[in-house]
Amino acid sequence: MELADYYGILGVLPSASNEDIRLTYRQAARLFHPDVNRAPGASALFRDINTAYEVLSSPASRADYDRLACDLGLDTPNIHMDVVYSRRHLKPLDEPQMVYALLRVRSLQDIGLVTDAPLNICLVIDRSTSMQGSRMHHVKAAAHRLIDELHEDDIVSVVSFSDNAEVLIPAQCAEDQRGMKSVISTLRAAGATAMYSGLQDGIAQVRRRLNTNYVNHVVLITDGRTYGDEKACLNLAAEAREQGIGISGLGIGDDWNDRFLDNLAKQTGGSSAYISTPQSVSSFLQKRIRSLATAFAERSSLIIAPAPNTNLESAIRTAPDPMSMDTSIQPCPLGSLDGQVGLAVVIQFHVTTGSDAVNGEIPIGRVDLTAEVLGQSRRIERVARMLTVEISPTPPPEDPPIELLDVLGKLSLYQLQDRAREALDGGDYVEATRKLEYLATRLFESGEQQLGNAALSEAQRVAHTHLLSEEGAKELKYGTRALLPPLGDKDD
Amino acid sequence: MIECPYCHHNNMEGALVCVECGLSLWGNLQDELPTRELPDEASELSAKSGWGTATFLERNQIILHIRDASEPLTIAPGTEVLIGRRDTSSGIVPDLDLTNYGALEKGVSRVHAALRRGDDVLSLVDLDSANGTFINGQRLASNQPRLVRDGDEIRLGKLVMHIYFK
Repeated sequence: MELADYYGILGVLPSASNEDIRLTYRQAARLFHPDVNRAPGASALFRDINTAYEVLSSPASRADYDRLACDLGLDTPNIHMDVVYSRRHLKPLDEPQMVYALLRVRSLQDIGLVTDAPLNICLVIDRSTSMQGSRMHHVKAAAHRLIDELHEDDIVSVVSFSDNAEVLIPAQCAEDQRGMKSVISTLRAAGATAMYSGLQDGIAQVRRRLNTNYVNHVVLITDGRTYGDEKACLNLAAEAREQGIGISGLGIGDDWNDRFLDNLAKQTGGSSAYISTPQSVSSFLQKRIRSLATAFAERSSLIIAPAPNTNLESAIRTAPDPMSMDTSIQPCPLGSLDGQVGLAVVIQFHVTTGSDAVNGEIPIGRVDLTAEVLGQSRRIERVARMLTVEISPTPPPEDPPIELLDVLGKLSLYQLQDRAREALDGGDYVEATRKLEYLATRLFESGEQQLGNAALSEAQRVAHTHLLSEEGAKELKYGTRALLPPLGDKDD
Repeated sequence: MIECPYCHHNNMEGALVCVECGLSLWGNLQDELPTRELPDEASELSAKSGWGTATFLERNQIILHIRDASEPLTIAPGTEVLIGRRDTSSGIVPDLDLTNYGALEKGVSRVHAALRRGDDVLSLVDLDSANGTFINGQRLASNQPRLVRDGDEIRLGKLVMHIYFK
């Protein structure tokens, strides 16, 4: 039974009077009604607020709802979200001002008591010709180790693809581990890379045993590019999201299309990773699976609704697995919530107060996180936070919080390489070179010698050949991404 | 507006990181100018802490590490070293021609700046260049000589170099 937390959506307590509910609704409408606010997040949020108001504004339907909610125990929260601002005071100015907000989401459950969530995973393995040799060898070894580590109640399936896809192991409980491993051993590399059919079969296998108490996930392992069916793959991923299936991509070597794999993972809030040497396949795969198993909630999504005076500039998930979010999709899928690492999102707002703004607190937006808490019964939980700043002509000096500065410093490195690639796409190699040089300087400053050298040599390459090397582009992207600090204590 | 001390990009009020060059605007605005070092062998060579010497004697030579150039340049300066980029049409040939170091793309003027020998010192003067001359990130007012120290970063437009005394 799905039951949304209407009180949370409206932002009132369950004890609120009818008058309170009406006033709160009116307030929300002034900020997020499509007539005053055209941001995608605002319309997504207002749809939900409207639904909640329809139910709660009538005493009869509110009483019905209260009874149902009480039965399902919606009153004990499992998710905690806090917000760290770069500053709380703005001067009244006509020009836009930057405000950063760091959202941190944690589990309120006692970590010691949480057992690993059961998995329903499918490994989709690329067995095209280029996987021949050590790559295939290491992928097999990694798959073997993975199967060894699965619990008996986990569900696993394996699909391989080259010119077409083949279901090696149909979805089943991980009981016959020896049999499964011998099937994986028969994999031979030959043929082209037809990712679509592999992905389709993989999703189909997970769907066969789809269970909302499980972590339903497809892990795609590839070393190549897929031709002509990228769009179809992305559509497939979007469908998978609707069904509650996540997708992660692991790219091996230098030839695969990192942007495509990123986009694919982004559709479902999953992640993508770069594996430069075949030897590290195993540790990557394990890490990915472990982070899936420590999930305390699944299928999370975030609505970011800026107030009418505010522009949502960007939003980036920094932990787990950094990912820049497509803010035109609202709610934005963020995948599973890890019990140990949690979730962190950095949002940049441009706030225009106007020089005639009245002193006092003003809203700059609202963030709503929705997730399904894994447990006995399916429970959709929603946490909302109103984001506000204070306008003051003589703001007190404030130091930005150190955790925010730390994240932003690291994030700027990732963004520099991203902008260099953007500039290069636009044919502006001078700008791309400059960005790479800045990146090198910042990397050396923070003691990242190896990455700094990579940035420097790519800057030179771009200056001379107007091209980035595949290897260097990936090294910089995933290297700067890896610098981002995890939210909580790292356990490995 | 917040001007980045490194690349002079104008950032929005409240920005904590320069969107152009990634410099943290918070710490660097607090304690004026950061000590920056060239990200190559030069930084190991100099191994300086704080300010280098300003003394530049008769026998001293200048070593210039231009960013991304493979070899440093050694210059034995006369009373003045004109820095800029060659222009065949007007016949301007500066003493130090930066054409081969990407001067055009990086916004170096034909007559950009000059290094001048004083009494045991060396100074740099901006000659009304289009994109400015900077010592350690600080822009020089045109035609006003400024003292150069060993290890300083000099930037002409977007062309960065470090100067050392030998």
